[in-house]
Amino acid sequence: MSTETSSLFDEVSFTREQFRSFAVHAALYGTAFLFVVPYAYMFTTSIQPREQIYSDVPFLIPQGFTLRWYEQLLNNSQIINWTINTVLLAGATTIVVLLVDSMIAYSLTRLEWPGRKVVFSVIVASFMVPGIINLVPVFMIVSELGLVNNLIGVILPSVANPLGVFMLYQFFRDIPEELEEAARLDGFSRIRIFTHITLPLMRSALAALGLFIFIWTWNAFLWPLVILQDQAMYTLPIGLVTVQDTMGVTEPGIVMASAVIASAPLLIVFLLLQNHLVRAVEMQGTVG
Amino acid sequence: MSQVDHEPGADSGRLPSLGDGNARIREWLAGFGFALPYLVVAAGFLFGPLLLGLFMSFHNWNPIFPAESEFIGLANYEELIADPRFWNAMKNTLYFVVLTVPSIVVGSLLLALGVNREVKGRWVLRAIFFSPYVLTVAVIGLLWTDLFSSTGLIPYYAAQLGINTGSWLTDPTLAMPAITITTIWWSLAFNFVILLAARQNVPERLYEAAKLDGASSWRMMLDITIPQMRNPLIFVVITTFVGSFQVFGQPFIMTSGGPSFSTTTVVMYLYQTAFSAGDFGYAAAVGYVLFMILIFVSLINFYVLGGDGE
Repeated sequence: MSTETSSLFDEVSFTREQFRSFAVHAALYGTAFLFVVPYAYMFTTSIQPREQIYSDVPFLIPQGFTLRWYEQLLNNSQIINWTINTVLLAGATTIVVLLVDSMIAYSLTRLEWPGRKVVFSVIVASFMVPGIINLVPVFMIVSELGLVNNLIGVILPSVANPLGVFMLYQFFRDIPEELEEAARLDGFSRIRIFTHITLPLMRSALAALGLFIFIWTWNAFLWPLVILQDQAMYTLPIGLVTVQDTMGVTEPGIVMASAVIASAPLLIVFLLLQNHLVRAVEMQGTVG
Repeated sequence: MSQVDHEPGADSGRLPSLGDGNARIREWLAGFGFALPYLVVAAGFLFGPLLLGLFMSFHNWNPIFPAESEFIGLANYEELIADPRFWNAMKNTLYFVVLTVPSIVVGSLLLALGVNREVKGRWVLRAIFFSPYVLTVAVIGLLWTDLFSSTGLIPYYAAQLGINTGSWLTDPTLAMPAITITTIWWSLAFNFVILLAARQNVPERLYEAAKLDGASSWRMMLDITIPQMRNPLIFVVITTFVGSFQVFGQPFIMTSGGPSFSTTTVVMYLYQTAFSAGDFGYAAAVGYVLFMILIFVSLINFYVLGGDGE
């Protein structure tokens, strides 16, 4: 209905529209270029010979090729340990969070029990609690439990985060209950309904949340820094910032090689599963 | 958990009705059972610590023998009010907040509105703008430390433009702006995705109607786009405020709070107080003061921006 009018509109302001479109493209691609520069620098520095790294002109496109920085890193640091720890931490946290959060989300949306409204209100209110204010008391608790220097000591505080509960709550609420009702009439137990009907229905939401938690935990900095004190227990983010101290040299090539190792897996996952991650972030936007 | 896993046959053929006390109690038990794991963890690592932190802040806390901690009332808070290092950290944090929050909110809004237009390669653009989101602050910090170093990319190109800066991170006036630029590059992504989704949820017919009335793009932005995106915008503003007040990793990695304490933030100060100085009670008090400030800032934002309370 509006095609006629809008084409008229286009004609009237033809040059202006064209100019605006050009300006928007220039601004967006200019910004995109600035976004890409740090990646190019990181990668280039990690594979360039020393002479180019220390030359007066910084290079964004490699002028030579060497793997010596990666070799030195693998031989002289515990980066393999750190990678294993990071995968274990991120994987275990993701599984526990998905299980625990979907259980309570199921309980809050499907089951009637006294106090559930209060519980839900308290969880919503706890969004206002910034994680950082609990740094000291949670450390005390973790240390009293003897979990300092233990991955479990990093996992438990992450599981307490209410974000996943709230995201799944919204999804459970929006999924029709008919199938579950039918299963109940057929005499299925709650646990079977939960594992065989509800969870499969929630696959895509769980995938989005799971991906988000995985990346979040992989990248976590403050908690692992506080809890993991033994170098062999470090995760990649903590190991990275100590590489210079532990190897006793400040070589940009080594530092950038470590940065590539820590970020490449996530950037690849990101390129493959971008839409899930976008969805997880959008889910958070609807929390507000 | 097994106590809630009643046998499939147990209530088969029987519809649970409100009058059926047995089925009702079973449902209660199932409800508690499914909620229990999260509630236990949250009690131990979220709500419990909230109270413990308050308790600790009233003590000269002994981290080795907590039972021997000495109750000192409000002394930690009194000390904090008179502590120039706390106020310096607060001042630095506010400076960081003032530099980052408007840039991130406006920047991510502009990117979202731009990518929402009919641009070529918008999927590529979206991927590029979103990508820093998956990087750890450790990578971000190390990478930008290098970019800002005296031989790094940024001083080099600044010098090409005739501005001789030297290393930004060792310069007291440039260190915080450097951390700000780093943070913007990192944090635009999250808000960009949220605002892009919000913009795409604005019904196109509103714009069509406005165009019929001959409204300018600027008017449509002010009268349609911004009001329609109000709730996501409030969300973005509040989360960016709260996140910026808690900045830690970037200064910790890039400057260690220097030069001459010009980038020591409140959370860094809290971290140092607890884990370098071992003064846990005082650190807990710092945490609580920051908590109060954040609640205050969030409420102000909410009322000033006119949240609808939903």
